[in-house]
Amino acid sequence: MVQDRDLRARFRQGDPDAVRSVYRSYGRLVYAVAHKVLGDRGLAEEATQQTFLKAWRAAQTFDEERELGPWLAAIARRVAIDLYRREAVRATDPLESAPPGDQALISSPRSADAIYDVWEVRDAMAQLPQEEQEIVRLQHLEGFTHAQIAERLGMPVGTVKSRSFRAHKRLAAMLGHLRE
Amino acid sequence: MSTSDDDRILYLSGEPADSLTPQERAELDELRELLEAPATWEEPDAALEDRIVSAIADEARRTRPVESAPVAPATPQAQRRRGFRWPFRRPGLVLGGFATAAAAIVVAIVIAVGGSSSSPLQYAMVVSGTSLAPGAHGSGTLTKMTSGWEIQLSATGLPHLANGRYYQAWLKNAAGILVPVGTFNDAEHVILWSGAPVTQFRSFSVTEQLANGNPVSSGRRVLVGVAHPVH
Repeated sequence: MVQDRDLRARFRQGDPDAVRSVYRSYGRLVYAVAHKVLGDRGLAEEATQQTFLKAWRAAQTFDEERELGPWLAAIARRVAIDLYRREAVRATDPLESAPPGDQALISSPRSADAIYDVWEVRDAMAQLPQEEQEIVRLQHLEGFTHAQIAERLGMPVGTVKSRSFRAHKRLAAMLGHLRE
Repeated sequence: MSTSDDDRILYLSGEPADSLTPQERAELDELRELLEAPATWEEPDAALEDRIVSAIADEARRTRPVESAPVAPATPQAQRRRGFRWPFRRPGLVLGGFATAAAAIVVAIVIAVGGSSSSPLQYAMVVSGTSLAPGAHGSGTLTKMTSGWEIQLSATGLPHLANGRYYQAWLKNAAGILVPVGTFNDAEHVILWSGAPVTQFRSFSVTEQLANGNPVSSGRRVLVGVAHPVH
């Protein structure tokens, strides 16, 4: 995460290189929050862009002593909810409506806690080694069994189990506060 | 580590954990739900970073104060050389006056074209695939030029079309009037043009078409988006 005070100061000044560095540190997290609210890739990207624009516009008021992450997360949530409301209004009078079967919108915005939780989970996942991230992804997102993961990744089932255990142990430690 | 901690981890990683209490299972189910949520794994388009940096750079240029052309400092009064007389009594001020007038003209020209932060009117859009192309996505900019509106579209996830099949882009206004803005075979980077104002025709779409002489929209929309003013 971005801890460098100089970088935060340059972001306040609107330095493009600082903007790029901040995006590389927080862009995926902002996107995850937006996607959590909007459930749509295109809208989540639009919300991410608006978040960074708003953050840059407000950068002069940003306290350098604060962490950028929580500040950006709060902006992302507000932007995503505003976009959600805009799309909800549009859905009642479509000009370029998606076909009826398309699921472009979720039924209701998520609670604040649920929105920020995804930030925490993404942050924790990013700290896992890549191979452990892949095992967790295949297990939880794709619904693979350990045997299927072993076949997909070309490794023994025992190795998958031990790496899965290690990955979840780290996640449980990093995300324990979400259960409190 | 306690037995309960091991059981929680096993439960998360898909193994049976019979010793967990119902409350512990419920808490872990919430964590598993987060791990299973698509938002946890979705990645933004790699081009989003450049779009954000460009958007901020564009705004910085628009909001930066107009910088006047530097006024040439008044030249110090030239010393009179023996045998030479300036036609004006205070030549330094005259030269300074000309410089000031020239600078004023430059400033006037700069202001007339919108100042150093002048940028053409521009809209931006994020485009998403429809059910016919659920994996497609991208973005575009729509810029007012002298000859019309230039539309730069970058989208991935649409297959290359050929052999009598092609993509057609459209803009539509609130009244539902469709205007064609160009045809192409590949959407990764394409430049389109609209003679209709984007300020009124803000709904963007791309359809699959057949080269059969029928110019109307096939209705097979693969990409949709809405243009928003860049501010």
